[in-house]
Amino acid sequence: MSTPSQPQTESFEHAAKNKSWIEYIQKDLPEHLDWWPYTLGAIPLTLFGLLVATGLLLTFYYVPSPEQAYASVEQITNEVYLGWFVRGMHKLSVDLMILFLLFHVIRVFLTRAYRPPGELKWVTGSVVLFVTFAMGFTGYSLVYDNVSYWGMTVVTDMLGNLPLVGTPLLYLLRGGPEVSGRTLLRLYDLHTKLLPVLLGGLVIGHVVVVRLLGFAEVAGSRGFHAFYPEHTLKMGAIAVGLLVLIVDLVMIFPPTLGLPANPQEVASDVSPPWYFSAPYMWISLLPGPVAIWSLLGGAGLFVVYPFVDRVLSERGWPMAIMNAVVGSVVVAAVAVLMYLDTQM
Amino acid sequence: MAIIHDDAGRRRFLSQAVMGFGLLFGVGTLGLRFIQFLVPSREPRRSEAVLIGAESRIPPGEALSLDFSGHKILVLKTDEGVAAFSRRCTDLGCLVSWSRERQQFLCPCHQGVYDKNGANIAGPPPRPLDRFEVIKRGEQLYVNVQST
Repeated sequence: MSTPSQPQTESFEHAAKNKSWIEYIQKDLPEHLDWWPYTLGAIPLTLFGLLVATGLLLTFYYVPSPEQAYASVEQITNEVYLGWFVRGMHKLSVDLMILFLLFHVIRVFLTRAYRPPGELKWVTGSVVLFVTFAMGFTGYSLVYDNVSYWGMTVVTDMLGNLPLVGTPLLYLLRGGPEVSGRTLLRLYDLHTKLLPVLLGGLVIGHVVVVRLLGFAEVAGSRGFHAFYPEHTLKMGAIAVGLLVLIVDLVMIFPPTLGLPANPQEVASDVSPPWYFSAPYMWISLLPGPVAIWSLLGGAGLFVVYPFVDRVLSERGWPMAIMNAVVGSVVVAAVAVLMYLDTQM
Repeated sequence: MAIIHDDAGRRRFLSQAVMGFGLLFGVGTLGLRFIQFLVPSREPRRSEAVLIGAESRIPPGEALSLDFSGHKILVLKTDEGVAAFSRRCTDLGCLVSWSRERQQFLCPCHQGVYDKNGANIAGPPPRPLDRFEVIKRGEQLYVNVQST
């Protein structure tokens, strides 16, 4: 294990001593980064920037209290100049960010780009994915319409069912046994302070790790190109294209707002955000402990998968085929669970 | 010479270990206190009897909805007399409603169904609805709830 990583560490130290940071950034990139499936990592990065910008704008009007949260979202949506547009962009960007992160994960999984020495790329990336889920959920809860309120209730309840840490985590998130004004304030703090800082750090860390460890070798990719202007231009084109797409989508599907939160009556169509509907169904269909442990186990396995891959390939398992099968089964299962959720 | 070197090495290791553990202990205690700050203490709950009214106030086949101290309660006449059920679904914490036509408690989130005695009979709920004690004092009925 230590033999292949040794020259890598030495080259880092050597590089750190002799190169300026400009040279680091300008380091040539392999040709395959120009191929579409390999640009999927840059898309969430662009969306993250957009989310920070629109999120910052929204904080100027949003009030995190049960009495005023809904009214302030209503004001943003219906009264503030272009408020609906800013909110729409924010909402759509997070949906797209999660979607493209998932595509990125699938691409990395199928091409096994996490193979040594790239394990850390996968591990940091998987934490980025989980923190993005947390950002999505906390943001969804802030809207404080009835669907969002009950979505927040069931998701925190789901977390409360976790073994050992469940109850303290429930109290930590809700600020008490029940969803209250304190819950909203905590989720707001998480969404606008703690998690963005964490996510920003992780995203930077992930990009730095990818740059330092280098890109995985891809068959057929022989040439190299400079970071600037070739790569920057391509990424810029993707960012502009993405922006045009988001603007169009927000125009076609402007953000909506349901009835205000009513703790006395469950929303008729309560469901968590789409990226939680599969685990939500999983928990509903299977007996509690089995569902929770299988989800936790699955998440743990996901994070350490590169190491599992290494152990299994050393024993002669055909991991390329394995990954294709596992990936297809998981994607199909998630699709079925999401479909079932829409039927309930 | 080698022995002296080892001594110096051991001394350095020990002093670093003591300092390291000290630092870890200090920071750990502080971190633990911060977590305690964030997790609200579970205040001792005390029982309180809340007046529902006379038994005749509960119409047959209907459920009386109450909200007291954050507890959402449905009171109705069951096979074993008057009972008070928590509206909190035992699946994921949604609120159940009483269906007069079906004489069942229904949860809209995942179609959980409970019979009139609160037993989970269909859907994902893992256990019956939580119950509150009903006390009869003279003609009047009281529900015993835990409040902070």
